[in-house]
Amino acid sequence: MTTIRRFCCNDLLRFAYVNLDHLTETFNMSFYMTYLARWPDYFHVAEGPGNQIMGYIMGKVEGQGESWHGHVTAVTVAPEYRRQQLAKKLMNLLEDISDKIDKAYFVDLFVRASNAPAIKMYEKLGYVIYRRVLRYYSGEEDGLDMRKALSRDTEKSSIIPLKRPITPDELEYD
Amino acid sequence: MASKFGLAGGIPERRVRPIWDAIDSRQFKNALKHVSTLLAKHPNSPYAHALKALILERMCKLDEAFSVCLNAKELLFTNDSLLMDDLTLSTLQIVFQRLDHLDLAASCYEHACSKFPNNLELMMGLFNCYVREYSFVKQQQTAIKMYKLVGEERFLLWAVCSIQLQVFCGNGGEKLLLLAEGLLKKHVASHGLHEPDALIVYLSILEQQAKFGDALEILSGNLGSLLMIEVDKLRIQGRLLSRAGDHAAAAAIFKKILETCPDDWMSFLHYLGCLLEDDSLCCAEAVKDPVHPSKFISCKVSHLTDEEFDGQVSNALDFVQKLQADPVNNSLRGPYLAAIEVERRKHLRGKGNDDSLMDAIVQYFCRFGHLSCFTSDVEMFIEVFNPVKKIELLEKLKEYSDSLTTLPVKNLGQTFSFFKIQQLLMGDMFESSASELEVCCAQMAEIYCKSVAFSKDLDPQESMQGEELLSIICNLLVQLFWRTKNVGYLVEAVIVLEFGLAIRRHVWQYKILLLHMYSYFGALSVAYEWYKSLDVKNILMETLSHHIYPQMLVSPLWTELDSLLKDYLKFMDDYLRESADLTFHAYRHRNYSKVIEFVQFKEQLQRSSQYLVARVEAPILQLKQNSDNIEEEQGVLESLKCGIDFLELSNEIGSKSLTFLEDLQSRPWWTPTSEKNFLLEPFEGISFCPRRISTNERETSCKRMIEKRSLVPRMIYLSIQRASASVKEIVEVNGSVSPNICSELKLLLERYAQLLGFSLCEAIDMIMDFPSGERFSEVVGPNLIDWLNFTVFLNAWNLTSHELVQPDEKESTPHTWSILDSLLEKYILEKVKSMESEICSSWSDVQLLIQIVTEPLAWHGLVIQSCLRSCLPSGKKKKKSGSMDHSSYSLVHTITNSVQHLSSIIEEILRWIRERENTPEDKNVEYIISSFNNNEQDGGPGQMFRILESFFSAKDGAELGDRISQSLESWSPADVARKIMTGKHKVLMEFSKICESKLKSLRSMKQQIAQL
Repeated sequence: MTTIRRFCCNDLLRFAYVNLDHLTETFNMSFYMTYLARWPDYFHVAEGPGNQIMGYIMGKVEGQGESWHGHVTAVTVAPEYRRQQLAKKLMNLLEDISDKIDKAYFVDLFVRASNAPAIKMYEKLGYVIYRRVLRYYSGEEDGLDMRKALSRDTEKSSIIPLKRPITPDELEYD
Repeated sequence: MASKFGLAGGIPERRVRPIWDAIDSRQFKNALKHVSTLLAKHPNSPYAHALKALILERMCKLDEAFSVCLNAKELLFTNDSLLMDDLTLSTLQIVFQRLDHLDLAASCYEHACSKFPNNLELMMGLFNCYVREYSFVKQQQTAIKMYKLVGEERFLLWAVCSIQLQVFCGNGGEKLLLLAEGLLKKHVASHGLHEPDALIVYLSILEQQAKFGDALEILSGNLGSLLMIEVDKLRIQGRLLSRAGDHAAAAAIFKKILETCPDDWMSFLHYLGCLLEDDSLCCAEAVKDPVHPSKFISCKVSHLTDEEFDGQVSNALDFVQKLQADPVNNSLRGPYLAAIEVERRKHLRGKGNDDSLMDAIVQYFCRFGHLSCFTSDVEMFIEVFNPVKKIELLEKLKEYSDSLTTLPVKNLGQTFSFFKIQQLLMGDMFESSASELEVCCAQMAEIYCKSVAFSKDLDPQESMQGEELLSIICNLLVQLFWRTKNVGYLVEAVIVLEFGLAIRRHVWQYKILLLHMYSYFGALSVAYEWYKSLDVKNILMETLSHHIYPQMLVSPLWTELDSLLKDYLKFMDDYLRESADLTFHAYRHRNYSKVIEFVQFKEQLQRSSQYLVARVEAPILQLKQNSDNIEEEQGVLESLKCGIDFLELSNEIGSKSLTFLEDLQSRPWWTPTSEKNFLLEPFEGISFCPRRISTNERETSCKRMIEKRSLVPRMIYLSIQRASASVKEIVEVNGSVSPNICSELKLLLERYAQLLGFSLCEAIDMIMDFPSGERFSEVVGPNLIDWLNFTVFLNAWNLTSHELVQPDEKESTPHTWSILDSLLEKYILEKVKSMESEICSSWSDVQLLIQIVTEPLAWHGLVIQSCLRSCLPSGKKKKKSGSMDHSSYSLVHTITNSVQHLSSIIEEILRWIRERENTPEDKNVEYIISSFNNNEQDGGPGQMFRILESFFSAKDGAELGDRISQSLESWSPADVARKIMTGKHKVLMEFSKICESKLKSLRSMKQQIAQL
């Protein structure tokens, strides 16, 4: 009942239903277009019957050496389609691409420290809290950097939690 | 020639660095100082000049920046010994682009490339210039040159994309695709392909030429391995096979996809289409509206013989059952929905029966009815049934629902779905009686209460199941209001949703419904607040601002409207400016298929009807805001190039094809588009509220509206000019009036009349007839504002043309003037007197009143100001003679009358506003509350609210959770009633301010007259 396909520009005109959700950020156009222009394999949409957009995931691959990794920038599912493991499917797809096509070492993401339901979901999907980023969100709320090791990281060294929190300017990537 | 180590544009980097740093830290004055020093040392360095231009542009000194840029360009062109590096060129390019002179940037690169024909870096810069200019042919030529120079795959693909763009977005014929194919073929033969997206483009070129076999061959060959995501490859293969007519092979491919992804609904539809040899899905994909795809599955009755059809259907069913039997797929909706789709196809063929299709839907309900998406999942199937069968299905679902003994949560979910599908099956219950609607609402209100108790432990960020019930209740209450005209229902609908938002404040569906209801009441400032709380930004402004725009455009909330228009136009203009750079990004990162997509998307947004409307309405708003002061108004007009650009838009619009990108699905049933509101019309039943609106109709009327509105700024400008010229003509007897203004205004009047459906003569006749007949009122109908505007401009034109002076008229002041004054008086006073004093009545009459005052009356005021200004002796010039001649006297007399007239009309409006505002707030609140709080046991408004209120007041914190109990503690319906009142009050106060300002302006005109 779900067709997962690459996200295209016209989906930006159709995702209002998903983005009206207060936790889903609507970025500026150059943000979306840059992702589409650079990492189209990391930007997927799930479409339901009647061509309804159910949710989408956007991400990228970046880093050097052993920090070469997939990154989940946003994943969101419309309330009507929640509790059906759709986010899991979308995440698995991104992990698969990072793992098999780009041979990345891990996938990471940032989540608001207060967003308990999301943290719980990511933990279920195999992510661990790698480190805390102090005042990551608009200089106010802390963010949690969560990671999941991929097959290339045989020792799982990429996900050994850091002992101390870091500040946003210590982050390697934006 | 390229920048050498340690040199920037031929200047040692250490000298340039402080300038860069100053620019980066936005210390432009400082940067300018540094650059002046640099220029003293390197007066002929194009780079130093380019830097200066860059700084000046950042300081908004655009003219200076442009002239320095031209100097830099001149130096580049004249001095052959100078370096010509990319840094200089790209700096110049940036400034030229910001100054809107892409052509000059391109010419710099063209010159550089001609001097250094083998420099790849410069050629890429030139290609980029052409991308920014959307010059597809030049892009292609440059890319081919680069390809010939270095033989790289990417440059070939840049050329191929440029060819595709000529075909899809330019004037290139499809034959060009053959050229692209030839280029690729040759390259593949010698070098192969290395990028997945290059293959995608190659395949699309073949597919566009219907060379499906060739495409398939390439896909199954070595190149196919470039596509790493297997399912993507299979989807392309299946589509190509299907389009080639090899249905069996295509079906096998789609089957293979389904074996690994059994939930892939689109693949299932393709699979079934292939089995039944129906390619309408593939064809539909190519032509359908990609932004508003149909909810319904396109298919046609299969041409197979009965026997073949049965065989294929049974194959499909076997496969679907196999998918269902796999325990891994147990929770997937796809295979179960597939079973319904097979039944639907049988039904369409006349092979199945209603019962089996119904059974399949009931089965689906049984398994997935507890999910929120159940109703939207099955929506497309129930279209097959006639109304009787729909009721039968509803009964079956009810029967099943009643027999449920599952877990309470699941049970509750199914109950929600039942109510939702009931709405769908019963066509929003338009056939049901009022009391049936009330019973249904009451049931839903009770279930809602239960679900809140169940969800008390949910995180407030999470959506709560059953929230949709309050939306349905609201929809039915609004329907009851439409039917009965009992406003209590509408108030109750507002109260119910406000209550829901007090429980959880993030339900956007409630906010949208509320904003439309508040708009109906005229509490526009509250509607606007709710709209703001939706956080509509960036691209959502294109798809969602239709919820608030139309009301705001005719409201006196000018500050809010101004910010809405500015934000939206800024977003669009920024995007349209950046778009080409983003396209270049796609070229650079070798995602070629995105190139075409980006350009097509940009074209779509550029033709957005809403964007074009906003572009016209933004200057009209400015003109409204400044209309009480002719000097300021003229300043605005000058900044708008006297309306010339809008005239061009008006000329072009007819040949443009507009796009309608709004998300209309989120609109309430009673206003399916912004042009329509059923609540303003008498109740006619469901057949009068179609959800599907023809885009063609919308396009025609929208184009006409833009064409008409974009004439307004120019007509205002010409009217002002004409008015002042007319006075000069009278005062200076031998003075001549510019014939251009006169003829241009006449031409525009002709066009304006045509847009209203009349010739100029007919329109004039109609206006001249006004004092004697009813014809005018009959004809103007919904175009009242346009007709009044027309009369204002007509009067201005007539001030000196004398074409309309009637034979028996002795006065030289035109008859049109007095007609215009009477028209304004008639329509304004008519509205003021007829408007109901009830607090909850519709706002549409007030909207019209506001429009008359802020448009025709305002423009007429400008004509008067212009006449007066010309009559008055200016500082230096002295009046020619002490006494006025007859014509001047007559004009002054007319102006005096008119000013007097308009003043008394405005005073009348102000009196009306004061009367409305005089009622004590508590009394109004009491009235609103009593409208739905009738305490009658047998129906009427108020029941739903009482159910919610009594449930929640009986529960304590333990049962509802602390969060919900606390948020309800401070909530009261009186606050909501007060909100409606405050919202209306604010709008009226803004209107009152506008009227006061007009009155003030009229008073000062009176004083001026006294000086004459």
